[in-house]
Amino acid sequence: MTFKKFVLTSLLATAQLVWVMPVYAVPSFARQTGMACEACHTIYPQLTHFGRLFKANGYTLDNMQGTVHDISTDNKETLSLTGTPPISLMVQASETWLNKSLPDSTGSNGNAQNGTVAFPQQISLFYSGKIAPHLGAFIQLTYGNDSGQVGIDNTELRYANSIVTPNEQALIYGVSVNNNPTMQDLWNSTPAFGFPYAASNANVSPLAATQIDGTLGQDVAGMSVYALWRESWYGELGIYRSAKQGATNSTTGAAGPLDGSHSNVISGAAPYYRLAYEHQWGRSSLEVGLYGANFKLYPGGSTIDAPMSLTGPANEFNDFAQDFQYEFVDDRHIFTLSGTRIHESIKLNASLADGSKNDLTTSRLWGSYYYKRKIGGTVGYFSTTGSTNSSLYSVETTSGVVTSVNGSPDTKGWIAELNYIPWLNTKLALQYTAYNKFNGSSSNYDGFGRNASANNTLYLLLWVAY
Amino acid sequence: MKTNATIFSVAILMLLNINIAHAETINAHKTALQVAASTCSACHGEQGRSISPIFPNLAGQTATYLADQLKSFKSHTRADPDAVAYMWGIAGQLNDDLIQTLADYYSAQRPVTKSVADLAVVSRGEQIYINGVIADGVPPCATCHGPHGAGTDIFPRLAGQHAQYTLKQLNVIKNNLRNSAVMRNAILGLKENDMTAVAQYLQSMGM
Ligand code: HEC
Ligand code: HEC
Repeated sequence: MTFKKFVLTSLLATAQLVWVMPVYAVPSFARQTGMACEACHTIYPQLTHFGRLFKANGYTLDNMQGTVHDISTDNKETLSLTGTPPISLMVQASETWLNKSLPDSTGSNGNAQNGTVAFPQQISLFYSGKIAPHLGAFIQLTYGNDSGQVGIDNTELRYANSIVTPNEQALIYGVSVNNNPTMQDLWNSTPAFGFPYAASNANVSPLAATQIDGTLGQDVAGMSVYALWRESWYGELGIYRSAKQGATNSTTGAAGPLDGSHSNVISGAAPYYRLAYEHQWGRSSLEVGLYGANFKLYPGGSTIDAPMSLTGPANEFNDFAQDFQYEFVDDRHIFTLSGTRIHESIKLNASLADGSKNDLTTSRLWGSYYYKRKIGGTVGYFSTTGSTNSSLYSVETTSGVVTSVNGSPDTKGWIAELNYIPWLNTKLALQYTAYNKFNGSSSNYDGFGRNASANNTLYLLLWVAY
Repeated sequence: MKTNATIFSVAILMLLNINIAHAETINAHKTALQVAASTCSACHGEQGRSISPIFPNLAGQTATYLADQLKSFKSHTRADPDAVAYMWGIAGQLNDDLIQTLADYYSAQRPVTKSVADLAVVSRGEQIYINGVIADGVPPCATCHGPHGAGTDIFPRLAGQHAQYTLKQLNVIKNNLRNSAVMRNAILGLKENDMTAVAQYLQSMGM
């Protein structure tokens, strides 16, 4: 593998890891507020209008008795602890079948087993709720069967407060410190909490994803300030810095600083912005918005043989996205329709000598229906297309599968999911993903005879949270 | 990691700030207003004029009735499914002073004027409201809820309320999930389609 390819491969590897990140509803919120899941969720993790407000208010609304207090000598409150810590547990167990089994990675002629059991696929521990007046947290530790380790997952600390104008209109404002751009967002049309809410980790992930689409999740730390005016206008501005987990400085062995041995390190701070408007009428609400970020990433990832420092030109990823979400919520029928389109213009100033310009566009559209919060499902369309670039997408492999023979990132397909919700904190899902195109073409996309449809995935999931 | 350090110090400064702010005694009305405008409003709408018919309008409701209801959510004596799912948790957070201030606040707001309703049944609804249904032993609603449905004291305002909510409550009261013998006796004989008619009429009422 050439050095340049190494750099690009590692760049893409991160993208693959986070193609779909599962997201959650948290029973400790219900315990804290004394309200049932349906106050905040249509079906978890999709938020209702009140759920969005609860989040904007910093997860601080609470109904806990037995709070521990402390006051100073001048009678000022110095501590206010809830009697029970807001802790929840989430378990996912699943089985995944691919349409066509994968080649055996030992290089022998056989195939890998088809049908991957994941028990658990994931176990998460949440600390989600109020920490102090106006301060709340959503902290998630996850054990994943793929890593076989416990690691930090979506995490956020939030400060929120509100101002009421003399004519009784509210401005809610706050600060979020979080580790995944868009996880702080209030709508489910943005990447971090969008559909599919849970997906197989034993599937084949397409090569290309934009940076804001989960690629940098848990790899960055950001701080943003936001304001919500009259529950309808929402604006947010923030910055993100690289904050790698499990990365040490090889000279000192300490937790930092980052240097050329780390890949895709943000140069300085990456700006993030979000603007949205939500209109409510009857049982409906409609949100339209835009969001984006500009990431300058040093490819890094160098070795002694091929040194590369965190200086000089950086690869630039400019993400600009639109989204919308329609929600109809009633006791019997719940219907949602959401979509987003992310356009990323890429200038590989550091990785490719000609600083070649590329672009990537991801579009998703999905609609859900639930009857009495018991049974329902979602159908979604997804598409990622972009400029052909063989040095980006034609990854050298021995058995294909995760490469693109024609150097195109194009991937398109459908997801259909059926859900049965016997209790509001238990979800059974059967999900089918069908690819019309995968890594650039519908047939023989990898040059080893594998067709896009070979990666079609059937996924059975049991998802509980308590 | 200069920026990370900055993020942290800002976070810590904020923490300190919160405690100071919280320790300041804020007067009851201001607290109530803040709760109403940033929490209750998410479901009951700005100033208690709700958008979705799942959530009742509170604007212009009588203060006695509002305070009664909040207390019965808190003591779990109002126990229909939506009360349990939504309001038990909310009301559990309110002390008696805050309940009273919120009740006074909402009762002082301009009530909703609704006009859109199912015209086919509105006149039947009006008849029931004004005259009752003698054959079914249903007294005129107006005797307790007032000729214009504006309510008074323990008798709630009904005019302008979402028909879907009113219909739900009529069933809830009939099924004895609210501790309200007076109202239950009044509507025990009321048939389902008459409930719909009167609920539509009330939604169309406005003043
Ligand atoms: C998450 C949504 C939600 C929030 C937030 C909420 N409520 Fe409610 N509220 C409801 C629902 C739903 C009902 C109807 C309950 C039923 O059907 O029994 C209700 C009913 C009520 C009622 C009874 C009205 C009547 O006509 O009988 C009062 C009073 C009330 N709420 C006050 C409040 C106050 C005050 C707040 C803020 C402190 C608040 N609510 C916050 C959902 C909410
Ligand atoms: C004898 C007096 C009386 C009569 C007659 C009466 N009501 Fe009531 N009604 C009440 C009282 C008292 C309450 C408050 C119940 C409570 O506190 O839970 C009430 C509550 C209600 C509520 C619940 C309001 C809310 O916001 O949740 C509805 C709806 C209602 N009445 C409709 C009617 C209709 C329709 C009729 C006529 C068919 C009627 N009432 C006749 C006394 C009466």
